[in-house]
Amino acid sequence: MKKHVALLLVFMLGLATLLTGCGGTTEQASEESDVIKIGIFEPMTGANAAGGEMEVEGIKLANELYPEVLGKKVELVIADNKSDKVEAANAATMLVDKEKVSAVIGSWGSSFSIAAGPIFKDAGIPAVGASCTNPLVTMGNEYYSRVCFIDSFQGTVMANYAYNELGAKRVAIIQEISSDYSVGLVKYFEEAFVGFTGSEDSIIGKASYNTGDQDFTAQLTNIKELNPDAIFAPGNYTEGALLVKQARELGIDVPFIATDTWEAPEFLEIGGESVEGAVFSTFFTTEVPITDESEKFLKAYREKYDKEPASVTALGYDAYLVILNAIEQSGSTDPAEINKFISQTKDFEGAAGMISLDPNGDAIKSAVIKEVKDGEFKYLTVVEPIQ
Amino acid sequence: MKKHRLLTALAVVALIGLLGVFNLTFDSYKLRILNLCGIYIILGLSMNLINGFTGLFSLGHAGFMAVGAYVSALLTMSPELKDTVFYAVPIHPFVKAMSAPFPIALLLGGIAAGIVGGVIAAPILRLKDDYLAIATLGFSEIIRVVATNLQSITNGPLGLKGIDRVVNTGWSWGLAILTVYFIKKLMDGSYGKAILAIREDEIAAEAMGVNLFRHKMYSFIIGAFFAGIGGGLLAHMLGTIDPLMFRFILTFNILLIVVLGGIGSITGTVISACVVTSMMEVLRFLEGKMDFGFFQIQGIPGMRMVVFSALLMIVILWYPRGLMGTKEFNWDYILQRKYLNIFNKKKKKKTVSEEN
Repeated sequence: MKKHVALLLVFMLGLATLLTGCGGTTEQASEESDVIKIGIFEPMTGANAAGGEMEVEGIKLANELYPEVLGKKVELVIADNKSDKVEAANAATMLVDKEKVSAVIGSWGSSFSIAAGPIFKDAGIPAVGASCTNPLVTMGNEYYSRVCFIDSFQGTVMANYAYNELGAKRVAIIQEISSDYSVGLVKYFEEAFVGFTGSEDSIIGKASYNTGDQDFTAQLTNIKELNPDAIFAPGNYTEGALLVKQARELGIDVPFIATDTWEAPEFLEIGGESVEGAVFSTFFTTEVPITDESEKFLKAYREKYDKEPASVTALGYDAYLVILNAIEQSGSTDPAEINKFISQTKDFEGAAGMISLDPNGDAIKSAVIKEVKDGEFKYLTVVEPIQ
Repeated sequence: MKKHRLLTALAVVALIGLLGVFNLTFDSYKLRILNLCGIYIILGLSMNLINGFTGLFSLGHAGFMAVGAYVSALLTMSPELKDTVFYAVPIHPFVKAMSAPFPIALLLGGIAAGIVGGVIAAPILRLKDDYLAIATLGFSEIIRVVATNLQSITNGPLGLKGIDRVVNTGWSWGLAILTVYFIKKLMDGSYGKAILAIREDEIAAEAMGVNLFRHKMYSFIIGAFFAGIGGGLLAHMLGTIDPLMFRFILTFNILLIVVLGGIGSITGTVISACVVTSMMEVLRFLEGKMDFGFFQIQGIPGMRMVVFSALLMIVILWYPRGLMGTKEFNWDYILQRKYLNIFNKKKKKKTVSEEN
């Protein structure tokens, strides 16, 4: 008897698979329809869900403020990539084949964008990344663009800051070896800093830790002996805060510099007084609105969520606007046309600064430098892009 | 027996025909799921060989897959591509120079994984049960950490990109059918009987003259080999790999397939590999907006995982030993059911035996 039920169950599951698979495709009539679909390709569950959620907030807000283009309603289709590469490729194919979206926004976490890149490229669907900073995302893929600056720029900005503002001549690096983001940044920082000082020996030491590590005393003791002028430590905010805290306990009092990932309330909570004076670069500041669009975004966001937006929320908002702008300029819903106009984006006013895309599809835009002061992130300065 | 062989041959031809039809009619989304099913069948079977048939509770699968994926991917990538991908730390000249066409690369990936499996198995086969599980899990993590830190060979956390995406239905399902055939033949032979004996009672098996160490080693090496093949296929389907892909959670996904299908059942693994892989995508509609006419609900991210888990629990409650237990698909059984009585007039006793 059980056997029967088992077979029946399996059969039904199989049937359900086939039926659901076929059901969705009947109502696609892309040309005459009065809806334009934009796919959101983000991690909504899994390890990166928090980041994905922040970007989706921005995209949804942008959709509320600008719900229409060419007289058609814009519909957002969310596909969860589950913070997993295999799932990311599945989700991307679903957006392309089943939902037949005109353009895609995402993803938080460059490795998912890299997995989805060739799928969007094959289908000829333009994708705009909000905060994926890895150079490999847009490399060799004319259908992938992004509204954030890339690792090479951010690494250079911080090297410039360390050399010119801090007057550092000898820098130590602590990288998060299991994070592609951190390793990529370190490489560009090193290149730029050696370029500024003109000496290969200006990077006096390099230490690594893994995501999730709690104890950094071994790495820090080594670095303390080297006596650097500053320490560059891009990586997660939790590990970063613990790292700075333990460095201070060991009596290392040189400045710590890092990148946008440190900008999280948890960084201040965990680090407490020890992280005072930490400096990092980021995309956006709420204190000094960069453009008119920033003001509009900030006002709407504060009204809706009653809190300060994160940088990536502004970037998600910008990604939507860039796509909308391209649709409006091209006057069509044809993905190839949209892509052409996305890649021509120049001096576009976004919430997180002016956006111009270079031939790779990477945004050339200014970076903001912030400092931790009195237990808060304080805006320090804006660094203009290097053309 | 002859009739059975004919029926099996017909079924395989029908399956290939069906896959051919799918290949022509499916869009790339459904084809991708179909190919994933094939890959997960290979992975599930390779784990079932170690965990189910030999009874060694190993959790090292993600590590073996990583070896297979990296070796085959590095072999098929062109030197120019490697140079652009390895932008942080220059690639090792030997790794840069090595290259092979996809089938050979895949095979070498499998062999490399098999060697690693053998090297790992030699010392840790002294352990049993939970301790074996922990040791294999540890080794799998070691492989991942090595891949993260050997930047000049694996590109570290930046991963590999631009791998030729050559895996199609022919590759994934062709190799899946071959794997099923191989494991089935293996289990029908004296080797299969020997490892089943080891699973049931090691001391008795040894007393009967079964060389425990050698049989367990073979099981590990063959299992790791197929895991490496599966990893290589996955790499050449996605076009990109990085060490974070091969975390414990990947081993867990495959373990789920094995346990759901029935620990020690080829049929069960095949069924559950297809069901688990496609269910996650089928349930995606739960996360979209739903319109019931009188009220609408906004999509809730993660909803499909909740439903999927609930379904799993239901299945395991009703079938504590997995969908198939240790049973296998059997023509006699199909032919002798009442509803298929056109073949056999006389109703016989159930012929599904425990180990057939």
